[in-house]
Amino acid sequence: MNLFAAAATIAQKDLRLFFRDRTGMLLGLLLPIALVTVFGMVMKFAFGGGSGMPKVVVYVVDEDGSDASAKFVAGLRAVDMLSVQPRAGEPAIAAAAARQLVHDGEAHHAILVGKGYGDALADGKEPPLTVVRDPGRAMEARLVGIGLMQATMAAAEGRSMPWLMGSVMRRQGMSEAGVARVRTSMQMVQDVIDRFVAGDGELKAADAAKPATAGFDMASLFEDMVPVVHEDVQPPARPKNLNHQLAQSVAGMAVMMLMFGLMACSVTLLQERDQGTLRRLLVSGAPRQALLLGKFVFCLLVGLLQLAIMFAYGELVFGIGVFRDPITLVVLAVTWAAAATAFGMLVAVWADTPKQAEGVSTLLILVMAALGGCWFPIQIADLPWWADVVTHATLTHWAMAGFQGMFWHQKACTDPVLLRAIAVQWGFVLVATWLAWRIWRRRFTGG
Amino acid sequence: MGVRGLATVRAMAPATLLEVEDLTYSYGDRHAVRGANLQCHRGEILGLLGPNGAGKTTLLSCVAGLLGGFRGTMQFAGAPFRPAHDAAARLQLGLVPQELALYDDLSARENLAFFARMQGVPAERRPAAVRRGLELAGLVDRADDRVRTFSGGMKRRLNLAIGDLHGPELLLLDEPTVGVDPQSRNHLFESLQALRAAGRTLVYTSHYMEEVQRLCDRVAVMHDGRVVAVGTTAELAARAGTPEANLEQVFLTLTGRSLRDDA
Ligand SMILES: Nc1ncnc2c1ncn2[C@@H]1O[C@H](COP(=O)(O)OP(=O)(O)OP(=O)(O)O)[C@@H](O)[C@H]1O
Ligand SMILES: [Mg+2]
Repeated sequence: MNLFAAAATIAQKDLRLFFRDRTGMLLGLLLPIALVTVFGMVMKFAFGGGSGMPKVVVYVVDEDGSDASAKFVAGLRAVDMLSVQPRAGEPAIAAAAARQLVHDGEAHHAILVGKGYGDALADGKEPPLTVVRDPGRAMEARLVGIGLMQATMAAAEGRSMPWLMGSVMRRQGMSEAGVARVRTSMQMVQDVIDRFVAGDGELKAADAAKPATAGFDMASLFEDMVPVVHEDVQPPARPKNLNHQLAQSVAGMAVMMLMFGLMACSVTLLQERDQGTLRRLLVSGAPRQALLLGKFVFCLLVGLLQLAIMFAYGELVFGIGVFRDPITLVVLAVTWAAAATAFGMLVAVWADTPKQAEGVSTLLILVMAALGGCWFPIQIADLPWWADVVTHATLTHWAMAGFQGMFWHQKACTDPVLLRAIAVQWGFVLVATWLAWRIWRRRFTGG
Repeated sequence: MGVRGLATVRAMAPATLLEVEDLTYSYGDRHAVRGANLQCHRGEILGLLGPNGAGKTTLLSCVAGLLGGFRGTMQFAGAPFRPAHDAAARLQLGLVPQELALYDDLSARENLAFFARMQGVPAERRPAAVRRGLELAGLVDRADDRVRTFSGGMKRRLNLAIGDLHGPELLLLDEPTVGVDPQSRNHLFESLQALRAAGRTLVYTSHYMEEVQRLCDRVAVMHDGRVVAVGTTAELAARAGTPEANLEQVFLTLTGRSLRDDA
């Protein structure tokens, strides 16, 4: 047999083997399709609007109720980068509720349109606007700033330019004389902006009498263009190195990788069956529940070790304050290790072969990781209701709610938000373990 | 219990240790065992012969409580026997599976120690049980090497030793001598004879006729899921009408000459 004939025969044999394991093959082909679908959806909803940025969730409270304020809110809704809540047609919420949402991390920002907004606009005065924000979300703050500007232009139909620009210049450190000049001429304002943008120092030179002002900050120009009262929710004392994305990444990777790690441990159950040691153990005098329980304990301990290593590393390298509240950390870690173990056991006893178990679990884990918010904070993205239901149905969602609640929102395990996340996970542990036990008895022990 | 006490109990105990009546088991719609009857006497080595697919492994698995949903009854020392649901019943059994059921990345000693614990050997007797297991397996010199590094024959010997760790009354051996050289085979034979001398009852499947003829007190022949004949080699030869007590001739006469992979 020559080289090519031999190679062709081998390839043919491998193809036959490949197609024989139907489940394995389907999973192999299905995995990319499922991932593309999930990713596509997530990107569409979370990163919609073509800006390539996640939409910022903003709760708006219109306390004025005038035509102008309605126009302003409509203007906000038209902004691509913002997901304005409550949606048009949904019941309005009160200012206190909006503040609470920001505080709980359910929204990035809240915009309170104060009483007298319409009158102020009509008089060419600065209208009362309050932005409730979490100072940790600086990225989103800029987008909100830009959105405020667009909405204001829409509401005031150009009459806003004098006070808008005037207040911006004042904020940038311009003298009152300069502000007056700005207000007198729209054209002049435009010139001033052009020159500022070009880095022209002329105006600053003219204002040299005033003590040094910081250089022109393009980003903060947009952020602060619409004058608002900033109301920072009292953020918990976070480690200074911590930002939202970092907390998200550490928690997300820990949550996802634990599932992979524990799946590999659970699959040893199938390996024991295939190598025959399971038969030995079943014949031994040991109670048969002990075999499954032993695997459970093994997975749980490996899981805790893996989490401990990951969090210790996260602390060492990023200083994210993992060990601030050891009790909460231990409760969350044990809870998630148990839930991931129960998941692994369920898949393992369901599968016929280790290959099948690995295929199915990879699919489920990646999909749950994406939907549950391990990769990006999908929890507060603007999702259609059904997608919202789906994300809440993933195990990873509740694990993330726990760890993010601890890392970012600095909550303790007695906080209702964390308690709920912990309860959901233990509920899953009970149901999945019971199911795994039933399947195990039927399929592995012949009894 | 002293040796005399043990002897008294033996004398009082019924001669039949295991009795299987009308055992039927199917994998889906494939009938593997169809109404098999088998009696195993205390202290004997009972050979279980049969073509490939005759149902020997399935029968042993039912006896060991590994397969649920079979029909028929089992008695052990005169009492109903339900090992699948009764841990104490399982302690009276030892199984040497057809496959090499070992942890490749544990050493021989670690494998023995683990299974000794699982098979209910009390802590104070465990070191002695492990030592005896190593001797039985002829692996005293390799005790701390990983099983992965063992030859096929060494693994076979360890496989056997593990089944007997807890000194079960009944030892079920499923082809324990497959793929071993004459030296290892001899070693295994001596081990099995030593076990019988120590009062164990053994059920033993094999495809090596001379081996069965040499070792077993009685032979049961399975065919198509049934036990078609039981007796000493001489009795079987007489029944089968073969001139001399040649087990291979008996076997072929009872089970036919064509390939019998499928029951
Ligand atoms: N796990 C299984 N699933 C389906 N059918 C099986 C399974 N195990 C055995 N069988 C079938 O049951 C029948 C009896 O098989 P069994 O393994 O008991 O035979 P055996 O006498 O031990 O054969 P051998 O001498 O080859 O080991 C065969 O027809 C076999 O194909
Ligand atoms: Mg067999």
